[in-house]
Amino acid sequence: MTIQPPDLPGLGETILTLEGVSKAYGEKRAAQDVNLRIPRGSIYGFLGPNGAGKTTTIRSIMRIILPDSGRIELAGRPLAGAMLDHIGYLPEERGLYRKMKCGDQLVYLAELKGVPRRDAVLRADRWLERMGLADYRDKKVDSLSKGMQQKIQFAATFIAEPVLVILDEVFSGLDPLNIELLRDMILEEKAKGTTILFSTHMLAEAEKICDSICLIEGGKVIIDGPLDRVRAEFPLRSVRVAWEQDVTPPEGLPGVIRMTRSEGTWRLTLGEGADLDALLHVLTGLGRLTLYAANRPTLSEIFLEAVARHRGEVRS
Amino acid sequence: MSKVLTIIRKEYLERVRSKSFVIGTLLGPAFMSMFVVLPVLLATSGGDDARTIGVVDAAGGVLARIEQVFAEEERTRVTLVPFARPGASSQASVEDLKAALQVGEIDAGVVLDADFIGTGKVVFYGKSVSSMVMRDDVLRPALNRILRESRFAEAAVPDSLFNYLSARTDWTTFTVTAEGSEEQQNEEAAFIAAIALIMIIYIMVLMYGNHTLTAVIEEKSSRMVEVLLASVSPGNLMLGKVMGIGLAGLTQFGVWALAFFLISQQGVSVGSFSLDVHFLTPTILVSFVMFFLLGFFLYATLYAGIGAMCNSVQDSQQFQGPLTMGLVLPMMLLSLVLRAPDSTLSVVLSMIPLFAPVLMFMRVCIETPPLWQILLSWALLAVSIWLSARAAGKLFRMGILMYGASPTWAGLMKVLRDR
Repeated sequence: MTIQPPDLPGLGETILTLEGVSKAYGEKRAAQDVNLRIPRGSIYGFLGPNGAGKTTTIRSIMRIILPDSGRIELAGRPLAGAMLDHIGYLPEERGLYRKMKCGDQLVYLAELKGVPRRDAVLRADRWLERMGLADYRDKKVDSLSKGMQQKIQFAATFIAEPVLVILDEVFSGLDPLNIELLRDMILEEKAKGTTILFSTHMLAEAEKICDSICLIEGGKVIIDGPLDRVRAEFPLRSVRVAWEQDVTPPEGLPGVIRMTRSEGTWRLTLGEGADLDALLHVLTGLGRLTLYAANRPTLSEIFLEAVARHRGEVRS
Repeated sequence: MSKVLTIIRKEYLERVRSKSFVIGTLLGPAFMSMFVVLPVLLATSGGDDARTIGVVDAAGGVLARIEQVFAEEERTRVTLVPFARPGASSQASVEDLKAALQVGEIDAGVVLDADFIGTGKVVFYGKSVSSMVMRDDVLRPALNRILRESRFAEAAVPDSLFNYLSARTDWTTFTVTAEGSEEQQNEEAAFIAAIALIMIIYIMVLMYGNHTLTAVIEEKSSRMVEVLLASVSPGNLMLGKVMGIGLAGLTQFGVWALAFFLISQQGVSVGSFSLDVHFLTPTILVSFVMFFLLGFFLYATLYAGIGAMCNSVQDSQQFQGPLTMGLVLPMMLLSLVLRAPDSTLSVVLSMIPLFAPVLMFMRVCIETPPLWQILLSWALLAVSIWLSARAAGKLFRMGILMYGASPTWAGLMKVLRDR
């Protein structure tokens, strides 16, 4: 039941498939008909506000909870039993055995992922070395700082050389140095062809690192795809302008639905189908422009709009 | 399967290497032997404190006889104080005696009838329930004897006839085993050994069952459980834990058994009681191991299920209570079963899986029940282990990810009913 290299799909082909995954807790539907195709070698952002159903979906993938319905496949095979050994998982609720030695801890967790004991010992040493914690091999976790404990957790996630790594809300609670470290590790793993699925509600963080994203809200996927394609679907929404003189733009500019002023610049929010050329023409007529910048929509703007759209659809 | 072994290994080593295990292994026999030796020592020492008893001997001469009897019985701790005001009526002496009793000069008082040998009448004055024990266990037998002897003497019965008439039955006890051989047994020793073994089952099941509870709660509170469940199924995680902890318990018992065997080879004895390995027949040994293991697995899975639902040991108290009762209750029922091991009530009680490790094993020790009953109780235990493991697995999957809210009985039942 293990995945041999020839069984792995090529880079960019689907490695993890979710089809119609649903899970309800009593009346509350935590995940509704979630469909995902995650390409191999991508960094896939699984995004949404708290309570959107991210963790439920991830726990369903890890078979920690059993979904009510739906199909989950890894490399084209139903995900169960020993297949889980190929997935590294760092949950939001994460910890370590406080009374256990760091080295033993890594060996134990590697063994539970199916790594033979002798191999696990070697790998644990290698990872401790890499994390700069070689001196702590025989120290109890208790004696480590929080940041060091986080490093041990990272090492435990990657030690079994998984083909897919799932990180749930991993940046919350990390210190800045470890965020940097983890980001480097993620990029390094990606270079090796490992797929990273990571969930977060911090969209700015996701924007910096993801190739593909999926937005989930109220248990439903509302946007899904490569980041640039998602962006293309959401056209320009605002421009920032400033004039040499202090100009207050008049009401009724073409295509503008709202104007706000902050720190000497104006932010003009555009309506559907706004004509930028016509707008620029009018703006230059008001005085000498010192700033005319298009604001690429940020992920949070895309997200807010998508949620608004989705809710509109649900209502109508 | 190798993952289960990995978990067993970790849980086992973690326990066996801990300080509390080493200390418990060393001190365990000391505590155990206290349970066994203390009652024996107390019983042989008699346990009665020095007592002073006031006596109004209206008949005259009886007091001296009582002193004589006490001397024969080596009852040196009881002092008799005569109450007799010279020249006054015995009624006045009784008032003196009561007054002395009130101020605590004496612990109890006895007033003998003027015609004691004729009527046998005795009036007893006591202060508390404990003086009633004095009346029934010390004074009554002594005075009975004096009365009997005096009346025989009055009737001029010769000593030889008296001895002949007052002879007691003379008993020798054999136990006929299933194999047909008859053995002369030191019953007291066999009984004490049985109680010791039952205590071991009781304490070990309670202690190591509780270990699984704390182990599961620790896994939850250290937030390890979700990482683990990403690698192993809840069932295997629980199996590994329970078996690892059970093995640690067996190891501890093994050390004790070895020590016990070595000591008994030396022939150690405490008071009138000596260690009797003879009592440990193969049936009893096999039963012991079976009831220990089955009992442990039953309680451990139940405890693990409870642990999965709780976030802290405090949380678990309300659920632990009923489970602990399952072990304490049979200890209280022991004497009932002891009196009539073959009664329908005893048979039924000893079949109840929660009670079987104590009660059925007790029956095996004192009077081997029919084989089918032993096998049936094992089968019932095995079935309930299977059921409780399933229920615990369910609780594990549901409860182990529940942080925060304290569990309730209603919530527990809901999880068990849900798919």
